[in-house]
Amino acid sequence: MSTFDAGGSQLDTSWFLLLAAVLFILGTIGVLIRRNPLVILICIELMLNAANLTLVAFSRQLQNLEGQLFALMSMTVAAAEAVVGLAILVDIFRHRDVEDVDDLSELKG
Amino acid sequence: MNTSQLALLILIFPAAGAILLSGRGWRLPRIVTKIVGPGAVWASFVVTLTLFFNSASGDFTYWTWIQSGDFNVPFNLLVDNLSIFMCLVITGVGGLIVTYAVGYMAPEDDPSYARFFTYMDIFVFSMLLLVLSGNFIFLIVGWALVGLSSYFLIGFWYHRRSAVLAARKAFVMNVIGDVGMILGTFVVFVSYHATTYRAVFKALPANDTSSLELAAFLLLVGAVAKSAQIPLHTWLPDAMEGPTPVSALIHAATMVTAGVYLVGRMHPIYDVAVYAHAAVAIVGAVTALFAATIAIVQTDIKRVLAYSTMSQIGYMFLAVGIGAYSAGFFHLLSHAFFKALLFMAAGNVIHAMHDEQDMRKYGGLLKQLPRTSWSFLIGSLSLVGVIPFVGFFSKEQILGAAFSKPDDSLALAVWVFGFITALITGFYTGRMWWMSFAGRPSPERAVEHPHEAPPVMLIPVVILAVLATIGGFIQTRALGFGPHLVDDFLTVKAAVGTQSWEGGASEVIATFATMLLAALLFLGAYRIYIQHAWKPWSAIVPWAQRLLERKYYFDELYDAIFIRTMDGLALGGLRYVEEPLIDGAVVGAGELAEAGAHSLSLTQTGYFRNYVLVFVAGAVVVGILVLVRVGS
Amino acid sequence: MAIAIFFVAAALAVAGGIGVITFRQPIRSVLSLVVVMIALSILFLLLSAQFIFVAQVIVYAGAVMVLFLFVIALLGPAKEIAKGRLRFQTWLSALFVLALFGLIWAMLQGVQYRQPEQTDLSTFGTVQSIGIGLFTKYLYPFELTSILLLVAAIGAIYLSRREGDDR
Repeated sequence: MSTFDAGGSQLDTSWFLLLAAVLFILGTIGVLIRRNPLVILICIELMLNAANLTLVAFSRQLQNLEGQLFALMSMTVAAAEAVVGLAILVDIFRHRDVEDVDDLSELKG
Repeated sequence: MNTSQLALLILIFPAAGAILLSGRGWRLPRIVTKIVGPGAVWASFVVTLTLFFNSASGDFTYWTWIQSGDFNVPFNLLVDNLSIFMCLVITGVGGLIVTYAVGYMAPEDDPSYARFFTYMDIFVFSMLLLVLSGNFIFLIVGWALVGLSSYFLIGFWYHRRSAVLAARKAFVMNVIGDVGMILGTFVVFVSYHATTYRAVFKALPANDTSSLELAAFLLLVGAVAKSAQIPLHTWLPDAMEGPTPVSALIHAATMVTAGVYLVGRMHPIYDVAVYAHAAVAIVGAVTALFAATIAIVQTDIKRVLAYSTMSQIGYMFLAVGIGAYSAGFFHLLSHAFFKALLFMAAGNVIHAMHDEQDMRKYGGLLKQLPRTSWSFLIGSLSLVGVIPFVGFFSKEQILGAAFSKPDDSLALAVWVFGFITALITGFYTGRMWWMSFAGRPSPERAVEHPHEAPPVMLIPVVILAVLATIGGFIQTRALGFGPHLVDDFLTVKAAVGTQSWEGGASEVIATFATMLLAALLFLGAYRIYIQHAWKPWSAIVPWAQRLLERKYYFDELYDAIFIRTMDGLALGGLRYVEEPLIDGAVVGAGELAEAGAHSLSLTQTGYFRNYVLVFVAGAVVVGILVLVRVGS
Repeated sequence: MAIAIFFVAAALAVAGGIGVITFRQPIRSVLSLVVVMIALSILFLLLSAQFIFVAQVIVYAGAVMVLFLFVIALLGPAKEIAKGRLRFQTWLSALFVLALFGLIWAMLQGVQYRQPEQTDLSTFGTVQSIGIGLFTKYLYPFELTSILLLVAAIGAIYLSRREGDDR
């Protein structure tokens, strides 16, 4: 049985998982396609959120609180990572105008 | 001191001398070299004399070198009359030559002065080891060391390319001989399972003769190489690149006589292996004539003497080849006297003329260098074989021994060769002496007023001249009567078998006829070259002149057959094996690694988005794996 | 009722997601992400994760997104200009992404969920239960995470200094 009870009606866990998958895929597409570094960071956040959704959905299905705790940790780490990532971006932006992440290819070869 | 200790001492003195002098870093004062160099040889001479006068003999084993089943090689020395005889020649004449060299080798060459005497002492040691050894293996050791010393000494002035090439040529040809020696020893060992002379000779007649013939032929190869007989002779004229004392010691008195010693020592084998024995005589006879003809056209005084040496050793081979062992060894002794004399006197002339060796640029030296000129004349007359000099007695004994066997066709044939050679010897020797010492000084003379040599160089020459004059009288077999000390010495204790030759009247007549004809030719050379009364034969038959000048094209022949082939093989090896295969493999491995690294580095595009793509692809792969796992 | 909420929230989330990746201007991407965050928080509520719901709104939508907006304000609006590099990127990306999606979908087929023990759902996901978990069983990760935040904060300050600033 993959359903659980929410306020009287039955919800299927698989829907949540499918939704999370879709959001994750959208995030991946964004990272691969977009060339503005800021937008790439945003898409990464999207991916993280999708993962969180998966975690919480499983937590509800299996009635294990650890899933939610994990999601909490994940949120914290995502925040920290976003902070540092943006700081780096700001640092790079100060020296040159980066509109295209392909310009940051000094590690070529 | 007993005999075994004395025998070892003979070897120790020159070895110690060499070791002492080789320490250039010890910065020995010049005087030490001048004393130790010849001193070591003289010390050995004294010990040898002691053994000689005490009639000592014995086979002494000092230690066992190799012991492996049947193959037992001791370090043993065989002291008998033959080896004492050889030691006397080596240390006596060698001592005189090394003393002479003290003056000849210019002391301005600072470190190489000691180096020279080191090499000379090493050589004397090697030669003594060769003749004193009591078994085949140490014979080979001494044999090889002698070849090595010869290489060092010929190439002594190593800055000269011609000297280095000559040394290399001598060494390579000696190695060919070494191979023959070693193979011959193998055959002997396989047949008799022993390495010492005593053991092998005792077991001798037991086996079949074919293996002995093979061994004898192989050993002959070694003798031919060392003694510069045909066909391994081409190194000897080139070896004149070495300093004159080297030519005197090694290429006149000692090393080149090692082949004669070998046949003498192995005479039990050669007495049985008749074909090889005949080959010895044939090789000697042919070489004697061949070398004499080439000597006619040489212009370098040392080359005349080199070819003359080749020719005289041919006589020695001839003698031992027909069984006249003591005659051959007597000629060895007498040749050591007069050839060393000739070389050293020539060295005096070369020194006086500031290193000029071309006889055409000499002329009229008799008045300016009287003592050297007269010594040279004594040596020349000895070489031609004129009475009363020692060369007469030894050479004519050989010819007499050959002549005295009318039923032996080989002996008669080689007598003809020897007879003609004696006449030609007279001619070229005369040419040499008249051109250098008589007549008017050549206009191309480098030095107007040459000085006589210093005493240290003159005295050994004079000593040898005296020996050459009176030495003949120890064995006057050639005259058909009189003392025969050499025969007695070498026969006693059955060291060397001798062919007793009863000198009949016909032999004596033949002897004197030979001598007179040779002397006539000696004088005839005067008419041609000094008085220019007759045309030189070279004008009459120019093609012969060219043939002789090119030494019968032997060098060209060897070059075409061997050198070109080896060069071709080496070049082929380089182009088809070394470069494509080996270089290819080694360099190719490097290039492969580099190409691999280069192609892998293409993944480092530097573009962030590519890297993420790779992440995703990896995730896909992992996902597939998980699915497959879970599904199965 | 819950189902209807779910579908509305889901539709919003997907729409927001598509918006994130398609808008040219970054600020619109950020705002689309905010929409996604809110939708997700509603979904969290449906999943009995009350504390997460609150945390999502406060931390993510409230703090992180605001941070992004500040950075955009700092750096100025940028427009992406199409340059012809990495031509294969789009096609390959499409390929792998579809593959990934197919994989995930395949994984979801025939999944057997474990049946939970009958626990009391009244305290599931409440602030209390989260608190108890954080401060007893998972104290260690909690503390580490706070240190991590501290380090990130220091790092961010250091990285974004102007040159010549020694403060």
